[in-house]
Amino acid sequence: MRNPIEAHNRVKDFDWEPSYVAKPNWYPTKYKIPAKTKDPFRHLVRDYLSMEEEKDNRQYGAMEDALSRGQASAKAEPRWMEIMKAVLPILNFGEYAAMKSTGQLIETIENAELRQGYLAQMLDEVRHTNQEAYLMRYFTKHAADPEGFAQGLKARGTNLFNRAGRAAFETFFVGDPIEGALNLQVVAETAYTNPIFVALTELSASNGDQVTPSVFLSIQSDESRHMANGYSTLAAVVSNPDNLPQLQIDFDRAFWRQHAFIDPFLGAVWDYFQANRSSSYIEKWREWIDADWVGSYIERLAPFGLKVPRDYSVASERVQWLGHTAAMVAFGAWPLQFWRFDPLTPADMDWFERKYPGWHGYYGKFWEEYGRRCDPRNGELSLALFPSLPPLCRVCQMPCVFPRPDISTCRIKEHAGKRHAFCSPACERFFDQEPHRYLGYTSFYELFEGYDLADYIIENGLLRADGKTLIAQPWLNLERMWTIDDIRAMRYEIRNPLRTE
Amino acid sequence: MSAVAQTPRDFTYIKPRKRRLSEYEAVSCYTQPDPNVFDRQGWYLLTPEGRAAWRPESTRLQHPHWFDFRDPSGLWQRTYVKLQAEQERAIERTVDDAALAGIFGEFDPLWLNEIIGVHYRVWSFFEYALFRAFSRAQREALADTLGNALCFEAVDRIRHAQSTVLYLMELEAAIEGFKDHAAKEHWLNDASYQPLRRLAEALMAAEDWAELAFAVNLVIDPITTELGVSRMVRRHGPQHGDPITPTIILTTERDRRRNQAWTEEMVRMTTAAANPHADSNRAVIRSWCDRWRPEAIAAARGFAAVFDRIVPRTRSFDQELASACADQAAIVSALGVGAVGGQ
Repeated sequence: MRNPIEAHNRVKDFDWEPSYVAKPNWYPTKYKIPAKTKDPFRHLVRDYLSMEEEKDNRQYGAMEDALSRGQASAKAEPRWMEIMKAVLPILNFGEYAAMKSTGQLIETIENAELRQGYLAQMLDEVRHTNQEAYLMRYFTKHAADPEGFAQGLKARGTNLFNRAGRAAFETFFVGDPIEGALNLQVVAETAYTNPIFVALTELSASNGDQVTPSVFLSIQSDESRHMANGYSTLAAVVSNPDNLPQLQIDFDRAFWRQHAFIDPFLGAVWDYFQANRSSSYIEKWREWIDADWVGSYIERLAPFGLKVPRDYSVASERVQWLGHTAAMVAFGAWPLQFWRFDPLTPADMDWFERKYPGWHGYYGKFWEEYGRRCDPRNGELSLALFPSLPPLCRVCQMPCVFPRPDISTCRIKEHAGKRHAFCSPACERFFDQEPHRYLGYTSFYELFEGYDLADYIIENGLLRADGKTLIAQPWLNLERMWTIDDIRAMRYEIRNPLRTE
Repeated sequence: MSAVAQTPRDFTYIKPRKRRLSEYEAVSCYTQPDPNVFDRQGWYLLTPEGRAAWRPESTRLQHPHWFDFRDPSGLWQRTYVKLQAEQERAIERTVDDAALAGIFGEFDPLWLNEIIGVHYRVWSFFEYALFRAFSRAQREALADTLGNALCFEAVDRIRHAQSTVLYLMELEAAIEGFKDHAAKEHWLNDASYQPLRRLAEALMAAEDWAELAFAVNLVIDPITTELGVSRMVRRHGPQHGDPITPTIILTTERDRRRNQAWTEEMVRMTTAAANPHADSNRAVIRSWCDRWRPEAIAAARGFAAVFDRIVPRTRSFDQELASACADQAAIVSALGVGAVGGQ
């Protein structure tokens, strides 16, 4: 191209004001966006296609060639591989939701520069959706235990944690397109993709999984462009002072909605599924979220009128416990999941106490009890360690046990004749602002209250191909795996913790 | 380890179209949650206006399970990007070679200034409108396989639009005195292109994603694009010293064939005897045909005066239009959703 700057200008000169048929307002936005801003992308579709083709060749080539021949996935630490079964399906929905979000932005935002960035992101998100599904299938073919990888997108539908991920990522495209961009580009992508796609790959590699890094690092090379989209969108929004009051409300909500799912989930993934131990989640959080996202990005927007999210200090305080509490629920409720768990060893527990001083006092007893209940011959279910399954937050779908069961911020209130639980004052506040936005679904307990656990497992397809062994297992022992008969013998009924009679 | 050893090593929850699960199906199917099968709780968030993530009423067509749709091209992101990167490289190379060979200097001046500089360049605005319309349509589609086909079509359209702009920049560099400066004015005000702009605006305002696909791929492309681009520009290029523009258009025709094929598949799927809504779907699609065909023809008729500037030409405008309309009528008739026909 002889004159790339001129080319960039010309490919953005396609807009006109319709005069024959008015353009409907399909995705209403409260924000006023200037018609011209900086182009966050500066790539022609032609350049983009060639760049992505090259990246695809490198990544898929590696997966098809050296990594398969070396049987890299079969040799990885089983403890680590198990949690990839939970991570990939929900990440996959995040990408898919992002594709929908960018479609809304292209439709709504009358700014050719921003649209240029969104258009590449739209195809990037199809890329990531496909890459992660490809990785799930790759693991189905090559991992030591394929169960769970084979059913990931199906099992996602009713899984305790994947459902909460769904709720967090629906914010990308259900609502004001700019609010979607705040959730997606400014919070999820800018704050959290570094820990997910960069830092997590160190953990994969040190636990013998060489395949995930080849996919995740390739994904992250697109994410940096999406962060630029977020920054440009935010810059466009703050350039009009009329936007500021609404922006702060939406930004506060976006931060909490992403934090409420990602931090407990990722914290548990990080700390409880590494076999060869290195850093802790809290260390990475302080580095990527605290120092990088807030310190080097959000705080610098103060002169433009945007403040650090209202509940950020609460999040920062509670993040040290969230992963442990989420892990306790996930392990304790293992028969409801679709992956296997590896109980903590004494060495693991020492590590936790070192990284999170005070950990043993709050969680040590659970882990000792849990260890005893891994063997079905002992006749005890770890679920029985909890008084009941936890209430689920009406807004974020997370169990209402955070930050720690002994100081849980769970609140229960009645609305229109029904009782609802909220995991935190923030989620309760969002509900109070717009209750109708959170009342459109059938709750987990409305569907499954009164079920015997064994029937729940059968109905949700959580049995292995032999028709009797559970996909999930509380330990990695393949000699004595839990069967549906073991579960049936426990006579565990799913009860709605909000029922008062 | 028997419970592990027995596991089939593939996704068993996807029903393959052929004997074995294809790569396309494995990476595409159920990436969109399916509330009727696996995601029984529905959508966790509504918009402030009370809309859920996806709504069955986003199209007037009805199907018990949209997730059964398969794009006959079997494209997923990797194969799609590879295809389009190859097409763009082919264009780039052809244009470079043509410049070095001095071919652009052989363009007939009227052809260059009126047909390429205005008419063909105006088309990029129409493509850009479709890019935006299909971007929104992919957001709303009721299954992943449909959303992906719509998304790829959105990218096709922006590729065509940008490719045209870049091509004209090359012509500017190669041909003394040629400037790409007039097309937007023609798009906005030239009577020849107002029916096309009206059509673009109507498509951008079409709410129903399936209707957009049907209107564009089975009505407008076969009539309006076929006439305005293929028959006017691609067919007459060589006679006017321009063998190059036709090669660029051929890449868009490759995309058009793919988009026609998946839309035909969507029509077949929604009107198949096994679908309890087949009759009402057929009636809806016929009504779409009735609505968009006159607009497609009106947009094409707008080019008549421009067409007449092309001398020599093989056939008259009316012959070309009649032939394109007949071809389009054959496409929809073969699907059992034809309109009354004629012009």
